[in-house]
Amino acid sequence: MATVCRLLRNKCNFLSKNVMRAMSNETRVIDPHEEKIVESHTERDTIIVDRNEVLASITGVPEEHIKTRRVRIYMPARNSMQSGSFGLNRWRMDFDTRERWENPLMGWQSSGDPLSNMHLEFKNREDAVDFCERNGWECYVDEPIKTTIKPKSYGANFSWNKKTRVSTK
Amino acid sequence: MLRLWPLARNCKATKALASLARCSSTGAPAKVEVFVDDKPVQVEPGTTILQACAEAGVEIPRFCYHERLSIAGNCRMCLVEVEKSPKPIASCAMPVMKGMKIKTDSEMTRKAREGVMEFLLMNHPLDCPICDQGGECDLQDQSMAFGSDRSRFTDMEHGGKRAVEDKNIGPLIKTIMTRCIHCTRCIRFASEVAGVDDLGTTGRGGDMQVGTYVEKMFKSELSGNIIDLCPVGALTAKPSAFTARPWETRRIDSVDVMDALGSNIVVNTRTNEVLRILPRTNDAVNEEWISDATRFAYDGLKRQRLTAPFVRNAAGQLEQTDWETALVKVAQKLVQVPGEKVAGVAGGLVDAEALVALKDYLNKLGSEALCTEEIFPMDGAGTDLRSNYLLNTGIQGVERADLILLVGTNPRFEAPLFNARIRKSWINNELTVAVVGTRVDLTYDYDHLGDSTKILADIAAGKHPFAQTLGKAKNPMVVVGSAALQRKDGAAIHRAVATMAQNARVQSGCGDDWKVLNVLHRVASQVAALDLGYKAGVEYIRNNPPSVLYMLGADEGALTRDQLPKDCFVIYQGHHGDRGAAMADVILPGAAYTEKDATYVNTEGRAQYTKTAVTPPMLAREDWKIIRALSEMTGNALPYDRIQDVRDRLYDVSPNLVQYGAAEDANYFKQAQELAAGISGKLEEKPLTPSLLNLKDFYMTNSIGRASQTMAKCVKAVQEMP
Repeated sequence: MATVCRLLRNKCNFLSKNVMRAMSNETRVIDPHEEKIVESHTERDTIIVDRNEVLASITGVPEEHIKTRRVRIYMPARNSMQSGSFGLNRWRMDFDTRERWENPLMGWQSSGDPLSNMHLEFKNREDAVDFCERNGWECYVDEPIKTTIKPKSYGANFSWNKKTRVSTK
Repeated sequence: MLRLWPLARNCKATKALASLARCSSTGAPAKVEVFVDDKPVQVEPGTTILQACAEAGVEIPRFCYHERLSIAGNCRMCLVEVEKSPKPIASCAMPVMKGMKIKTDSEMTRKAREGVMEFLLMNHPLDCPICDQGGECDLQDQSMAFGSDRSRFTDMEHGGKRAVEDKNIGPLIKTIMTRCIHCTRCIRFASEVAGVDDLGTTGRGGDMQVGTYVEKMFKSELSGNIIDLCPVGALTAKPSAFTARPWETRRIDSVDVMDALGSNIVVNTRTNEVLRILPRTNDAVNEEWISDATRFAYDGLKRQRLTAPFVRNAAGQLEQTDWETALVKVAQKLVQVPGEKVAGVAGGLVDAEALVALKDYLNKLGSEALCTEEIFPMDGAGTDLRSNYLLNTGIQGVERADLILLVGTNPRFEAPLFNARIRKSWINNELTVAVVGTRVDLTYDYDHLGDSTKILADIAAGKHPFAQTLGKAKNPMVVVGSAALQRKDGAAIHRAVATMAQNARVQSGCGDDWKVLNVLHRVASQVAALDLGYKAGVEYIRNNPPSVLYMLGADEGALTRDQLPKDCFVIYQGHHGDRGAAMADVILPGAAYTEKDATYVNTEGRAQYTKTAVTPPMLAREDWKIIRALSEMTGNALPYDRIQDVRDRLYDVSPNLVQYGAAEDANYFKQAQELAAGISGKLEEKPLTPSLLNLKDFYMTNSIGRASQTMAKCVKAVQEMP
């Protein structure tokens, strides 16, 4: 597992950190001894790069998926079918939609776009923009639409001189 | 007895005021500090516990409470423990008090929620595997998060759960009333937002039923919203029933083009097919609602589509062909005729990118004949001053207005969410509404001043008593419908309206920030087209007969074949086989609004963009790309290759077109009015009648709506159902 991990780390830099963390966690569970090797190995191999270094040329992402793609950075809107608001307070990035079709085998949807399933989440807009810039993707940011909370009162239902009064239910 | 109340209230109010005056000299209400799970939070007095918790970042589970409806307080799911209170408290209805200690995750709170959930599930069917709400059901999610893992209602006698007969309330909403948990959200929506008080409850306790009592259709242009509001699967969408699970779909944020408001929507797609359209919250535009045309006309995107280029052959038949043949045919024709004999006309669903591409291209060819199908008076300042053709106050401005005069418009069907905004303000802010035009049902009371144009002239001249009312109002609004401006005397109507608006603006002393004059458009493309310098109305083309006519999505029949010269070569570019395509010699298939990254500017001048949700069908292509390709073939290529370049061009023409999300203010009302004063046109005797009078007119107003089966069913149902 450790070798695989090392290999992955070297080859696929574009794998998200979470995946890497999940993998190293798994390693630790299986064999704590090996984990130590991974740790020492990465420490020795660490290269400090400038934060704004453009990594597009070495990420292994095909050029057509760097130059032709546009990324939208936004905060997801609440699904109007539900009242829950969990997961809305973070920034997401989405690529432009490419063609999809129904797979004749199972009726599932197919796509020729390797990036369409990449949904990354960021704590703030700057991180998302940085990430896109480092990977060479053209991006644009959608400002979140804020809604204000106005005080409401149950008493308005029984107001005698306002139209907020409700007659029936 | 009731009469005594105001007295008592007044006494109390003065006492309270006096005490307020004693303890604080400042006018602003002090904030109240409450503790949510020991975390202090400052909220305004009068806020409910639930709202205070939301400010603190704690979400209280709820079924009946909804931010945009009145408080009902009947589901009891929002019970929380408050220190020193012996019983749990329904947080949605309880106002905060100073120093309140709210415990949202205590033993008592959790037990209360489990109890409520147990009662709700006692009679709720185990339908989830066949329920359309499955996967985005509040009851499902909240029973997982807050419910108990077992129930005491075991039904040993197999008595069965409560069962309720399904109601038929029209072709859009499917009801499975056994699933209803009596949250009454749909009832409150119907009576408060839609203004159609058709839904209600009958019976009590276990026999309570939500419905219309006698079978009737829920006849509202906003009816689809109760599907979103329903926290369970009792109300689901009939057209998209059993098509997909929510986790299979992809959601793409976009903008609607069915009316000129540009409601924010989420397009749900699967396998390159639009499955449903949901609203996206934007307080400045559509709040949380969308109209039924927006929500359900999407099936029109799959029918009557132009999926390949067509060329009319020698026999006069349109023949399917490929892009090369079609473009070569068009290019040959365009090269033959002199540039000034080429004309362009844009329809109501066209995006700003295509509009600017067509304008640049025809200008390059040497033509200035670029028109929109929708007419707007070009006399006086005409469309040169933006303030002349925008909804200047803004949609949100309605909530600050205290008087609205509607002239020759029926906002209920021309812009349903604008009407919902007026209704909201009428209920909550004591907004006064007056109407000049045919008497229509707007869902709220209004002063009907008459339908004659003479009244307009009288108000503008200050002779009508309403002129005083208008002058006395603090924040008056005058809204004129675009249909009224399309009459022969449109310029005179615009002059009268501009004059009364300017008078009101001066007299009311509302200041320079408040705009009074508003134009309510009916189609999505109009403001962008006028911003880009298109001529409003096809009069120019009628007067200067073209040899080649380029119709960009022009489907409303403003120009017919017999109004053009016999040998005129007509090119139609658009997405539907409608009126425009029928008269064309060459058809170039374009993309509908769900199929392209495109800019639309709404009636208040707010630029917003749609995003590609699905790819255009078969050979259809994005509109600006088609024009770009054609320009290459005639040897005067447009200087943009990417969408970003087109948007840079839009920015060069008018920066507001790419300032997404913001509504760019317009001004120069005084100057516009001075210029308008020189217009010589006279008002006609004809009464001011809006174009859409009844609900049946509302569903099919553009080529997408006309191609939609769902919309056709709605028209039929509205006429046939009680």
